Amino acid sequence: MAYNVLVVDDSVTVRAVIAKTLEIAGVPINELYQASNGQEALDLMAENWVDLIFADINMPVMNGIEFVERMSTEGLLGTIPVVIVSTEGSATRIEQLLRKGVSAYIRKPFTPEMLREVVDRVMESGNEG
Amino acid sequence: MKDEESREKIDEIFCDVIEKMAFMFGEPVTGDELPPSGPHFYSTEMSFHGAREGSLIIAVPAAMCAEIAANVLGVDIDSELAESRSCDALKELLNVTCGNILTALAGEEPVFDLHPPTLSEMDEDGWNKFLADGDTLAYNVDENPVLLKFSFKS
Repeated sequence: MAYNVLVVDDSVTVRAVIAKTLEIAGVPINELYQASNGQEALDLMAENWVDLIFADINMPVMNGIEFVERMSTEGLLGTIPVVIVSTEGSATRIEQLLRKGVSAYIRKPFTPEMLREVVDRVMESGNEG
Repeated sequence: MKDEESREKIDEIFCDVIEKMAFMFGEPVTGDELPPSGPHFYSTEMSFHGAREGSLIIAVPAAMCAEIAANVLGVDIDSELAESRSCDALKELLNVTCGNILTALAGEEPVFDLHPPTLSEMDEDGWNKFLADGDTLAYNVDENPVLLKFSFKS
């Protein structure tokens, strides 16, 4: 099955790197959507279904934490797996994010293997649910 | 950033991050050992607050930015993409380095908020002043000189 993936990050470079790394990792992609902040992502999801989201924490307009909180109140959107990709390594912050419903956390810098492992894990657990 | 243990951790993290992100190999050097470059440089800086406040600055030769972007994006160094993303790639290198240094020096419990990086041009005079700062660390990255300064506010 090929996935519709949404990458949410205010850096065009980081969005391009995640897209490239997904390709190298061999993750099957149907559509790859991009948004530069949480609000833009919500607007995009109002028109397009996505299966998996990669999001940064620190973004202008709506950051990654607000984005996850908003998604959890939006019915079906709350079921979409969100993987946070960030430089932050605070265990406290990661615990907060997991409690808010984030599916996984990847710390930069990351490798294609790390990305693939997380995609397989979160999509598998989503299918089990 | 003066104590030897912290300095070694920063050296290790910066070299690891630039290798994993940009496939470039760095080694700590003294100011006298830096490869020649210039006269145009970029300096990127970000501050953080939370458990502690401080900042990280990285300065590189202007020509190196496109090389970093090309390697990060997996495109040709002469491509338009590498040129257009060069500043953004340098900021991302700073961002990733800062996050990893904070965890290494402060541990995994404290939460920090990182401010967006800013970028400015630096001339040779500015480069030499930055190099002369006692807390600035120097690296040879694939024959490019790189300067880095990490500081916690006391």
